[in-house]
Amino acid sequence: MKKLNALLLPLVFSSLLVAAPATPPAPEWKVPLAVKTLDNGLTVVVSRDDSAPTFGLCIAYGIGFRLEPKGRTGFAHLFEHMMFEGTPEARKGIFDRVVEGGGGFTNGDTRFDFTEYIESAPVSALNPALWLEADRLKGLDFSVANLNNQRNVVEEEVRDNVLNQPYGSFYWLDLPQKAFNRYPNAHNFYGDFKDLDAANIGDVRKFFETYHAPNNAVLAVVGDVTPEEVFQKAQQYFDSIPRRAVPAKPDVEEAPQKAERCSVEEDKLARVPALAVGYRMPPRTSPDAIVGAVVGEMLQNGQASLLYQALVKRKKVALEVDGGVNWPLGTPFEYGGPTLMTSFIVYPPKVSERDVLTAYDGVIQNLAAHGASQAELQRIRAKMRSDWYAELEIPVERASVISHFTLLDGDPGRVNKIPDEIAQVTSDQIMTFCRKYLVDTNRTIISRVPETLMGKTVNDAKGGRP
Amino acid sequence: MKLIRATVFVLAGLMILPAAWTQEKTQPLPKNLPAYGPLVPFRGPQVVQKRLANGLTLWMVSRAGFPKVSFAVAVRGGMASDPKDRPGLSKLLMDTIDQGTQSKNARQIAEAFQADGGDLTGDAHADFTESMISVLASWASSTLETLSDVLENATFPNSEVALAKRNEADSLRASEAEPSFLANRALAREMFDNHPYSVTSLTQASLAATTPDQLRRAYAMRFRPDRTILVAVGDFDPGPMANAVQKALGGWTTPAGSPAASVPQPVQNNPHGVFLVPRKGSVQTAFRLGAFGPLESSADFEAAEVADAIYGGMFGSRLVNDIREDKGYTYSPGADIQERSEAGVLETRASVRNAVTGASLNEILYQMNRMATTSPTPEELTRAKRYLTGIRAIEYQLQEAVAERLASLWVVGLPPQELGEESSKIQTVTFAEVDQAGRKYFPASRQTIVAVGEQSVIQQQLKPFGLPVHPVE
Repeated sequence: MKKLNALLLPLVFSSLLVAAPATPPAPEWKVPLAVKTLDNGLTVVVSRDDSAPTFGLCIAYGIGFRLEPKGRTGFAHLFEHMMFEGTPEARKGIFDRVVEGGGGFTNGDTRFDFTEYIESAPVSALNPALWLEADRLKGLDFSVANLNNQRNVVEEEVRDNVLNQPYGSFYWLDLPQKAFNRYPNAHNFYGDFKDLDAANIGDVRKFFETYHAPNNAVLAVVGDVTPEEVFQKAQQYFDSIPRRAVPAKPDVEEAPQKAERCSVEEDKLARVPALAVGYRMPPRTSPDAIVGAVVGEMLQNGQASLLYQALVKRKKVALEVDGGVNWPLGTPFEYGGPTLMTSFIVYPPKVSERDVLTAYDGVIQNLAAHGASQAELQRIRAKMRSDWYAELEIPVERASVISHFTLLDGDPGRVNKIPDEIAQVTSDQIMTFCRKYLVDTNRTIISRVPETLMGKTVNDAKGGRP
Repeated sequence: MKLIRATVFVLAGLMILPAAWTQEKTQPLPKNLPAYGPLVPFRGPQVVQKRLANGLTLWMVSRAGFPKVSFAVAVRGGMASDPKDRPGLSKLLMDTIDQGTQSKNARQIAEAFQADGGDLTGDAHADFTESMISVLASWASSTLETLSDVLENATFPNSEVALAKRNEADSLRASEAEPSFLANRALAREMFDNHPYSVTSLTQASLAATTPDQLRRAYAMRFRPDRTILVAVGDFDPGPMANAVQKALGGWTTPAGSPAASVPQPVQNNPHGVFLVPRKGSVQTAFRLGAFGPLESSADFEAAEVADAIYGGMFGSRLVNDIREDKGYTYSPGADIQERSEAGVLETRASVRNAVTGASLNEILYQMNRMATTSPTPEELTRAKRYLTGIRAIEYQLQEAVAERLASLWVVGLPPQELGEESSKIQTVTFAEVDQAGRKYFPASRQTIVAVGEQSVIQQQLKPFGLPVHPVE
């Protein structure tokens, strides 16, 4: 099918040029950006958007799962919860009461390389929200009672998302642990309960003091605000917070993978089997990274994607296919250390895992051998441009992406470059990429088998893996 | 890993006191905290309304700047209109509606949408089916052409229906492993009994029995312009957009036959008791509590929404403060009012570790009775009203949210202006109205309680409540 497309395409296009009205070009959309760094090292980025009288705010800190201490798995996330548990000035409950009472909401996210805190509300609540963010960067309440409370809450979160769910998030929790060797990249990011139980208030204090410095943070504000007013308020509220020495980023790189890694997990809750495949990706700063992003989306973005069409439709060996680079914890452009392109596939109990993998490998091999047709490239460029704009559509999400890019690259302007970078990716680059990265020796496979099917499906597994 | 942060009731003849009930602690605000600025009122978008000669309703919201367009199509007749012996047929209909037309196969349709920057999603609700897509604005008219083909000319090819049936059978098995799926299904069954709203999913028997012809007939009966709304939101001029819609969908004709039957009002006599869905290996009990609430068109809808926000709808609500921030029983508890055309349901959700199953239900019921018997504080009322208004201003910056909301207003027979007016209605809600909504909708004795988890855990820990416990599927 793909080859046929490639042959037909020049004809289609030339006829369009002659007969049909010209196809309008893709829209170009760029957001304004103003940047200021305070004396204490806090970077403030403002993007004005007066289409509604609201703001979105994100403050991202350069600390994530990777840097949590040994013996304290899950601590970065537990700490994120503690950031909502009050300060000497604003006791527990005040933060949410003030932001919700201002018509907005708050939230937090912990990721591999950063932790972000967000608020969005009508602009009338901007000053108190900024004040509260500055306040919790000055110091926390460090209350043992609140730590015990949030330890319970986090353990419920783990039960809710992992222990009481079919598949238990294995495609993002277990896969990196199998795919990588070093602790920063290969531990339980949600936390082993014994480690969560062992966490004490001294750990909270130390983590706060080590990483939560203005010079390790980016504040982004988007909405019906001017850069001048935000810079002035940031100066007013944050300026007194001293710069602190933050440990240099440790080396978290992995030695190259030499062989395919396969494992089987028994699932006590699932009734239908699944598998996850993870290929190690190039660093974000490599020229190959943008090609990886495009390949990841060609393979698994939506109903038109190559894996959906092959596995679900043509070969009928899968129920669902999802995935991508840095999936599902972020976009393919927001990672700062060893990262995977993940495919998560749920397949019918009557289909063997071998048949799923054979079909999967066929898609990868075809892409490596033939690349993408001009039509395919145009479609994926349109889809990724559209998706990228959607990523930036509302102020709070735009602030989030801006803060990540500033933290990772020192370049908030990259938010305006992504669609053009995608448009530069060629079929040759895609083939080269597939041959270099999407190879068996660079991947890890976890087969997740319902307890009731154990033994049946496993025996089918490719190469009789353990 | 989104962080979604964050009970003395009297039963007949039995009193259970929560372990450590504390009045919401109203800590003083920090003395240097800057005050809120003047509140900018939220204005709903201008909606241009048209009706095509064939009866199709078109609502348009034109917003320059962000270069995308979102389309939402709602067609009257959903799961509640499915034949009694084909529960969930609408779901299969929406799985297969874009799997072939007279001129395009499934892959061509998916690729045509992808070329515009979109991916069509479909869903079957109780009262309507919905198709949504967001694309780059430059190519919105091309999207309309493909969309109209799907709405008018779907063929439900036998091979695609066979594949969808097989995959849905396995997907249903997969879903039955999820506590939330089991809880939602059980709650609807127990609350609505024989009423069509009791159906929330397919069944294996229904899947096995459904033929491509049955799907084609349901499609022919339901998909007709006089029962359809198209909402367009985004970067376009209304004039050219209306012309493009006329060109794409103006030729769609209404068939002679009668449309899907309307849905009767359910009798509101939901049972007060515990419905236990056994799930082996559970490390949590998943609770769903449901009681009949107001219809969206009811005069007290906004008051009930404010009451719900105070009870469990906000992060700073009583329920979240109690069972999460005070007791640490759960991660993501909450409550909202789920609207169908003929019924509103006040629904409470919480997943709690096995050991605190009874203690959690105790707190939940206590917080409900508190809503039913006491007034909120002035701070709670103001915060809830500002929260519900502000959250709308934020949410409606998303094109898709506006499109979807407008489509759902049309389904329940409300005008598009409602989207802006609901915020001003919320602002005028009084203490007395919240008290009244609390008394009317929140008493614990009105609740149908579903608990999904380890049977012995639930049975033991819920025994002191003195409620009938019925094991169900």
